[in-house]
Amino acid sequence: MKMLVRTLDMEYETVSAFAAQAGFKTPSGDLIRRDTRGHLSSGLFPVWVLGGVAVVLLLLTTTGCGKTAAASYRLNMVESAKQRLKPEQEQQVATILAALFGTPDEPIAPSECGLDAAKLHLAAGPVRSDIVGRKNGLYREHCAHCHGVTGDGMGPTAAFLNPYPRDYRPGVFKFKSTERADKPTHADLVMVLRNGLAGSSMPSFALLSDAKIDALSEYVKYLSIRGEVELALMRAFFELDDEDQGRLPEDREFLIEEIVLPVAEAWQAAEDALIDVPEMAADIDMAASIAKGKELFYGNKANCVKCHGVTGLGDGQVNDYDDWNKVVLQAQKTVQGGIEQAGEASTWDMDADEAVEHRAELAWLDRFQKVLEGNALPPRTIRPRNLRQGIYRGGMRPLDLYYRIHAGINGAPMPAAKGTVPPEDIWHIVNYIRSLPYDFNGTLGVDKPMVARDRL
Amino acid sequence: MMTTSRSTVGGCHSGLKRPIAAHCLIFVICLAVGVAAPGCGAGSVAGPAPDFEAALVLREKLASATGATEAGEEKPQGTGWATLKGRFIFAGAPGDAKPLIVDKDTEVCSKGGMKLYDRSLMVDVSTKGLANVVLFLRNSSRVKEPVPTDALVFDQKSCEFLTPVFAARVGQPIDVKNSDPIGHNTNISGTSFNQLIPAGESTVFTAGRETGLPVTVTCNIHPWMKAYAVFREDGYVAVSAPDGSFTIPNLPAGEPLEFQVWHERSTGRSGAISLDQPELKWNAKGRFKIQLEEDEVRDLGTLEVPADAISG
Amino acid sequence: MKRFAAVFWSLLFLSVPVLGVATFIVGPAYDIWLPRDVSEHGAAVDGLFYFILVLTGVVFIATEMVLFWFIWKYDESKSNGPGRYVHGSHTLEVVWTIIPAAVLLFLAIYQMNTWADVKMRRPNMSPTVEVVGRQFEWRLRYPGRDGMLGTPDDLHLVNDLHLPIDEDILIQLKSMDVLHSFFLPNVRIKQDAVPGMKIPVWFKAREEGVFDIVCAELCGWGHYKMKGRVTFEPREAFDRWLERKYAEQEATQPTGSEATMTSRAAARPALFARNEPL
Repeated sequence: MKMLVRTLDMEYETVSAFAAQAGFKTPSGDLIRRDTRGHLSSGLFPVWVLGGVAVVLLLLTTTGCGKTAAASYRLNMVESAKQRLKPEQEQQVATILAALFGTPDEPIAPSECGLDAAKLHLAAGPVRSDIVGRKNGLYREHCAHCHGVTGDGMGPTAAFLNPYPRDYRPGVFKFKSTERADKPTHADLVMVLRNGLAGSSMPSFALLSDAKIDALSEYVKYLSIRGEVELALMRAFFELDDEDQGRLPEDREFLIEEIVLPVAEAWQAAEDALIDVPEMAADIDMAASIAKGKELFYGNKANCVKCHGVTGLGDGQVNDYDDWNKVVLQAQKTVQGGIEQAGEASTWDMDADEAVEHRAELAWLDRFQKVLEGNALPPRTIRPRNLRQGIYRGGMRPLDLYYRIHAGINGAPMPAAKGTVPPEDIWHIVNYIRSLPYDFNGTLGVDKPMVARDRL
Repeated sequence: MMTTSRSTVGGCHSGLKRPIAAHCLIFVICLAVGVAAPGCGAGSVAGPAPDFEAALVLREKLASATGATEAGEEKPQGTGWATLKGRFIFAGAPGDAKPLIVDKDTEVCSKGGMKLYDRSLMVDVSTKGLANVVLFLRNSSRVKEPVPTDALVFDQKSCEFLTPVFAARVGQPIDVKNSDPIGHNTNISGTSFNQLIPAGESTVFTAGRETGLPVTVTCNIHPWMKAYAVFREDGYVAVSAPDGSFTIPNLPAGEPLEFQVWHERSTGRSGAISLDQPELKWNAKGRFKIQLEEDEVRDLGTLEVPADAISG
Repeated sequence: MKRFAAVFWSLLFLSVPVLGVATFIVGPAYDIWLPRDVSEHGAAVDGLFYFILVLTGVVFIATEMVLFWFIWKYDESKSNGPGRYVHGSHTLEVVWTIIPAAVLLFLAIYQMNTWADVKMRRPNMSPTVEVVGRQFEWRLRYPGRDGMLGTPDDLHLVNDLHLPIDEDILIQLKSMDVLHSFFLPNVRIKQDAVPGMKIPVWFKAREEGVFDIVCAELCGWGHYKMKGRVTFEPREAFDRWLERKYAEQEATQPTGSEATMTSRAAARPALFARNEPL
């Protein structure tokens, strides 16, 4: 104790000594004092010089020195690394995309896509106004910080969210009213915007006007079409013959007919491809239906408990990945495997050609690894839904649950029951699921415990 | 500048050369640099920027093109049909197959202590034949047979897909069956087909698009289950049998044909296999070129896959 | 030069009370004032605000005037001698401690009734709606036909709160993750939503209209846009809206016309009848 006190005393003395030398009166002294001319100073510079320098430094640190560059689209570097594209091939893809789809500030789309240019204009670009009372740049205002300017689900906020924001580029959407392989309809996108996705970080934008929601849905479609075209272009390099010398043909037949048209047609076909939902019987006996649904839930036909768990808590299968994360995971495995393999090879007994190839392989692996670290989010598992909470991402209407069971969830491991589980059975399962949050040891009633949260 | 009339306490200190405020200034500068520095230097790998002038030129070209294709050089077409066959053998030692981790539905999947093994490298012991090598024709100009209407059967039993690698034609119905007493789901990646198949039932899948290279077929309920599927428009695809042999009949004769070869465990890019046979003009993407005469049955003989072409 | 400095600084300090008072006078003309109040207790809350404003305003102006006067009068140019060290006036210190203390005490007692009305005298009723704050939205739950929260016939909504006018409203406020604050500016209601607590909030709205719900407690990066909308409407319109929303929630077919949805929902039995075991 005495040692401590003595040490503290010495500390104090040291500080006092420093301070005294600087003209700093402790404990009640002034940092700034008058010099011989009566002006305030700190001994080295006049006060205003110090203050000015500090302010300027602070401003520079927080705002940076130059003007911010215009927003630009990011290439899908993971796919490009996967396809082993060379920089000139990447640039060809970027140029073709710029030709077909423009820039984030000035989007255009080939007419085959059937996108409304006015809506794109409203949604795209920086937040600004060109007509009094109307705000443009909706996407950047509301969506870009999670979904990214390119719609790649890697905006600045994305890394902190679980689940990650949707990456539109593969053109796969989870919550829709069409069959599993089909694209969502415009109404599906509008519904997701309006209601948000309960239980995820996607908020409800119900407070935006209909016109704004429309414009944003159109822009999402635009980004998705652009992303799918980008993937198709990158994959097309593998199909090239040697004569093409690693360059894609830049003619209408290839770009529009072979690449863009299939993508655009898939989106247009979705509008008419709604799942046909047979009516649930109006005089249905709810209790019996729920009991039947419970049988099906636990049975061999629908196999729900295998993933959703024997108590419906979503703990039956916890190591699976959704398609977006699986791509990154598999890429990581490829890189790991490649590194191990390349590490085993010894350049000692390679001839010149093999050594060149080996080095090129190593360079590719190195770049791929950097891309996976900097251009991809760490893969996260996807858990089956906890059905006891009453929170359903795609909507809680019986209709929504029917869609999820019938078509499964595209991009997620949830399989489709279409064709193998008849519609009446799907309705029984839906009724059972809707009763699960209120089901406590099989009894239910107003005097029994309700949803777990309310019991607290 | 540094005049002071106060005596220093603790005389061992020789005194500062600069006043406190200067230290503060230096600290502020260091702090500013330290805060700004992490912002400099991108974390992500930036791809090349698009060439905007070229993009504008291309855009005008696409807008003005009427859609009539420029007469590219016509690929020569021959007449008649030929057959290609051969046999893949593996020159290396396959090693023992690893058992899979089976942790669900063990009363069916590990019934009687049965083990399931990894089937990624299947080599016939006696003939050294390499099974499950996929060989298909790229870019055919013409097709002899129409799309078959009878269904190809793809079954699963004892928690394992019965055909580790299968090939089908685009538009051909595939009967996906489940012969187990428990339910499965069959998830064919790249096709958005992920269907629940209750015990003992089946469902029909028809590929709408051809795949570039084989895609995986998995079961989400039983994660160890894996198979591969390849769908081609023209149907000129073969999967080597357990003894390594394959046959592709009715190929277009009299014109240059390019084939793609693939194996699950190949060290080549994306599973492509390239063999060291200059007469077949193999390239790094696992392709070879050949031209067949009308009604010829070309036997490529024994195609030896060296040990270092297969990983593990 | 020294006189100029004194004049400059004293006028600068004078501008503070002058501009301050000016903004309070000019502000309402530019709609920069208290938001429109549609609640029953709002008048009392606003009254308190004005009372304190006037009280503190008078003191503020007085002290600022004194400050100005001292700077103007007692500047360096007018006196050459050294500053006189004064021990201070004990009496003055006591006076200007006692008076503010008394004022504070008075205020504390004066506002107790209003505080009790808003925060302590809870009406004896079951909640009209449960509001759960979540990053970054307001999740709402109406009890449904059985009047009980936590039963299958609850109506779940997000951000779009409707309430009847001229009736006591009781809101059960919860938070799903972090601290939020349920702030209805036009009803003079603000209550922190504390995770783990169920906090009752009550008021009565007197006029129809559509107003904001904003979050008043920093809750993360989306706090600035955690906005909702509250609509006050007559009881019949409110009931009709509830029915329509409930029918949408129970939809088993893709959205058709409102009429068919409502009739379909009414025809189907509720998910559970009361008090029946499963």
